[in-house]
Amino acid sequence: MTQEILLGDEAVARGAIDAGLSAAYAYPGTPSTEIFETIHSLTKQHHLPIRGFWSTNEKVALEEAIGVSYCGKRAMVSMKHVGLNVAADPFMNVAVAGAWGGLVLAVADDPSMHSSQNEQDSRSFADFAQVLCVEPADQQEAYELAREAFEVSERLRVPVVLRLVTRLAHSRALVTLGERRTQNELRYVEDDGLYTLIPSNARRAYAGLIDKQPALQKFSEEHRLNALTIRGEGKPGIIVSGIAWTYLREALGPKLDDFNVLRVSVYPLPVGKVRELLDHSSELMIVEEGYPFIERFVSALGLFREKPVKGKLTGHVPRIGELNPDLLRKTFGLPVKTSLAVAGLEDVLMARPPRLCDACPHGDSYNLINEVRRELDSSMRVMGDIGCYALGYSKPYQAINSCLCMGSSIGMAIGAAHAGISPSLCVIGDGTFTHTGMNALLDAVIENTNIKVFILDNSIVAMTGGQPTTMSDAHLEELVAGLGVKKAHVRTITPVPQKHAENLAIVREELAYQGLSVIIARRACVRYVKEIKEHKRERDAAHAHEGDCANCSGNC
Amino acid sequence: MTFDLVLCGVGGQGVLSTAYVIDHAAVDAGLHFKQPEIHGMSQRGGAVSAQVRLGSAPIASDLISTGEAKAVLSVEPMESLRYLSLLSSDGWVFTDVTPLKNMAGYPDTAKLYDVLFSLPHVVAVNATKLAAKAGASKAQNMVVLGAAASHLPFPVELLEKHLRALFQVKGEHVVTANLKAFRMGLAASAFGAALIARGVSAPIAARVVARLDFDATPVAEDVLNAWVERLLRSDAEALSKRVLAAGDSLPLEAQLPAKLA
Repeated sequence: MTQEILLGDEAVARGAIDAGLSAAYAYPGTPSTEIFETIHSLTKQHHLPIRGFWSTNEKVALEEAIGVSYCGKRAMVSMKHVGLNVAADPFMNVAVAGAWGGLVLAVADDPSMHSSQNEQDSRSFADFAQVLCVEPADQQEAYELAREAFEVSERLRVPVVLRLVTRLAHSRALVTLGERRTQNELRYVEDDGLYTLIPSNARRAYAGLIDKQPALQKFSEEHRLNALTIRGEGKPGIIVSGIAWTYLREALGPKLDDFNVLRVSVYPLPVGKVRELLDHSSELMIVEEGYPFIERFVSALGLFREKPVKGKLTGHVPRIGELNPDLLRKTFGLPVKTSLAVAGLEDVLMARPPRLCDACPHGDSYNLINEVRRELDSSMRVMGDIGCYALGYSKPYQAINSCLCMGSSIGMAIGAAHAGISPSLCVIGDGTFTHTGMNALLDAVIENTNIKVFILDNSIVAMTGGQPTTMSDAHLEELVAGLGVKKAHVRTITPVPQKHAENLAIVREELAYQGLSVIIARRACVRYVKEIKEHKRERDAAHAHEGDCANCSGNC
Repeated sequence: MTFDLVLCGVGGQGVLSTAYVIDHAAVDAGLHFKQPEIHGMSQRGGAVSAQVRLGSAPIASDLISTGEAKAVLSVEPMESLRYLSLLSSDGWVFTDVTPLKNMAGYPDTAKLYDVLFSLPHVVAVNATKLAAKAGASKAQNMVVLGAAASHLPFPVELLEKHLRALFQVKGEHVVTANLKAFRMGLAASAFGAALIARGVSAPIAARVVARLDFDATPVAEDVLNAWVERLLRSDAEALSKRVLAAGDSLPLEAQLPAKLA
C-alpha cells in the first residue's frame, strides 16, 4: 500500500494513470492546471507510455482525447470550468456518439472566483449532455473516482465529467494509492456508424444515449458514495454533495446524528434515494457547492410541495461564493467561535491585490498604449483578454476597458470598430491568441477592419505557472502573415523602457493606417526564464525528430 | 488533538515551501492533515495564504473555521494581520518584521507595529536580515518556521528532516543556508520565551527580539542575563520601542544592553 501527499488535482492525475491511461490533453487554467502537469511530469520521470501535451485549446484537447477513446484506449482531458465552454461542441456530441475507450473530462470549478470570471457549475453541463458526473468530497475520493470514472465510462460507453472545485483541487492530504491497471489495446470502434454523426446515424446514436439513461441512473442509485443514512423517522433531512460534505461534518460534528442524510457524489441525481430520504424526513436542507443544482431538481420534482425544501434558492445557504464550515454553522443555527480581537486593525490592514511583476514586459506595452491614448484624446478603447496582462486593468496602468473570455479581445475590437469606436485596439497574449484569438483575426483580415491588435508575446503561459505556448518567436509573425495580415502592418517591437520612443513611433504609424495592424510586442516573461528555455529545447527536439515515434512521448 | 495553522505572505515569498515542510513532518509524526493553498492570479505579488490542519483524528474540512487557528506564520508583517479572524483568542503570530511595500497605500510602519505588538502572543523576527546572513536571501520563510517550530505538535527534528528533503535537490549549500535560517528563528523564539519566563513583559520582549541579530545557535546565557537585567528596568518599554523604530539590527553582545540609554 503506497501513501502520498497529494493535491486534489494530483490525486485525479494519479487515479487516471492508475486506471491505465493512454493519453492526456489539457489547456492550463486555474484550478485545473496541476492535473495535466502531474501526468506530464510523471510520464517523463518514469518513462510511462502515456501520450499527450498542452493542447491549443480545450476544444482541441477534448477532440484529441476523443480520438484516443475511439481507438479503444483511455484518455483524460482536463480544464477549468470555463474551458468546458470552449469544448462544448465536441462535448455535447461525444455524449451522443458515446465513449469507446474510457473518456474522462476532469473539470475544475472555481466558486468564489479566486482566479476566474464566473462561478459556472459543471454539474449543469454534465446534465445538459445527459452523461455521468462524479464529484469527489476529498483527495482520496478524487483518486478513487478518477479511477472508477474510466471503468464506468468504458462499461456504459459514456464520457464522464469529474467535477472538482478549487478548494479540493488545491488542497493537500495523504492519499492511499492502488495497483496500476495495464493500458487497453488498440481497438477502433466496432459500429462506426454510431460515431459518425450524420443525421441518420445521429438519430440512432441519440436514441442510444437515451437508452443508456436507466443504466446511468442505476449506477448512481447504487453507488457507495451516494450514501443514504436514515437515523430516525421524522428527523430533518439533509442532501449534501461534493466537498460540502466535509464542511457539513466539520460544522455539525456529533449533531449530524440528528439528521437523516443523503450524500451525493455521483449524478444523475439518485432520485430514488431522494424520495426515500424525503419519505423519512420532516423537511430537507440542501447543501451543495456551486449552483442550487440538486435543489432545483428536487424542487422541480414537485417534492417541495409536500415538505419544506431549504437551500440556496430559499436563502438558507449563500447563493454566491464558496461554502465553508462557518457559513453552514449559520445555516443550522450553530454558534461560530470568537476570534482574537485587535484594536486598530482596519487602519493598518490594506488590500494587496496581484500586480504585474517588476520589469514585466506587459507594463512597457501598456505604457505605450497609455501614451497614445493621451495623445489621441478620442473614443479609443482597448479590449483586453485573459492572462497576466488583464492586470493592466488596475492601477497604475488602467490601460484596458474589457476582459470577457479567452480570445474575445479581437472579435470585440472588430465589433467596437463597427460600432464607431476609433481607434479600436486590443491586447492579447501569445497563448490566448493561438487558443481562440486567431479565428477572429481572420475575420479582420477578410474585411481589413481598422483595428490594432497588440499581441503581447512573452513566450509562455505565465498566469497559470509557466506552461508552453503553441506559437512564439518568429513563428508568430509567420502565422499572422499566413492568416493574411499585410506584412507591412505586422510590426514587431521589443517592449523595454530604452526603446519607448522608437516603439511609440511604430505604434503611431500603425494608428495612422486605416486598416488592420498587428503589433507583436515581444519580450520574454521575467518570471519564467528557465521554463521558456526548457520549453524551447523540448520543442526544438520534437521538431528535429522524425520517423516512427508512436510511443516515445516526444521525449526521446 | 487538533492544531490549525495559517501560513501567509506575499506571492513569491515561499509560503508553499513552509507548507511542504509542515505537511511532511506531520505525516512523519503520524498525524492526519489537510492543507489548502492558493494558486493562480494572487501569486503575482498579491496576498497569498495556505492553511494547515493537523489532528490526531481524521480531518473533515480543508478550511479552518473562525477562531480555531492556533497560530499564524507570516513572511510579512501586514500580512500576518490579514487572517486574525481565524486565530483563536489565545493564538500565536509568528512573522517577519520587514515590510514588503509592493502596493499603494501600505500603512505607516509605526502604526503597523503598534497593532502587531499589541497582540498577546507574537514572535516577530527580522527574517529578511537573518536569511541573508544565513546565506539564502529567500529563506525568510524558514526563519519564521524556525520561530514557530517549538509551538508545533511534533518534534523540531522532524521539521529539520523535511526541510533538508525539500532543499536537497538545490544542493547542499542551499540546505545548509535554510537550516541555518531555521535555527536562527528557533534561537529567536527561545530567547523571547526566556525573557518572558524571567519576568520581562511580552510586548517588550517581542520588540527587542524583532531587532536582534540571532545566530543559528541558542543565545548565550550571559547575553540573556544582560538583556533580562536591562529589560526589567522602568524605562524598558520606551527602550524597546526605540530599538524597534530605529530598525538597526543589534549584535548579540553581553555588554550591549547596559549601554543602551
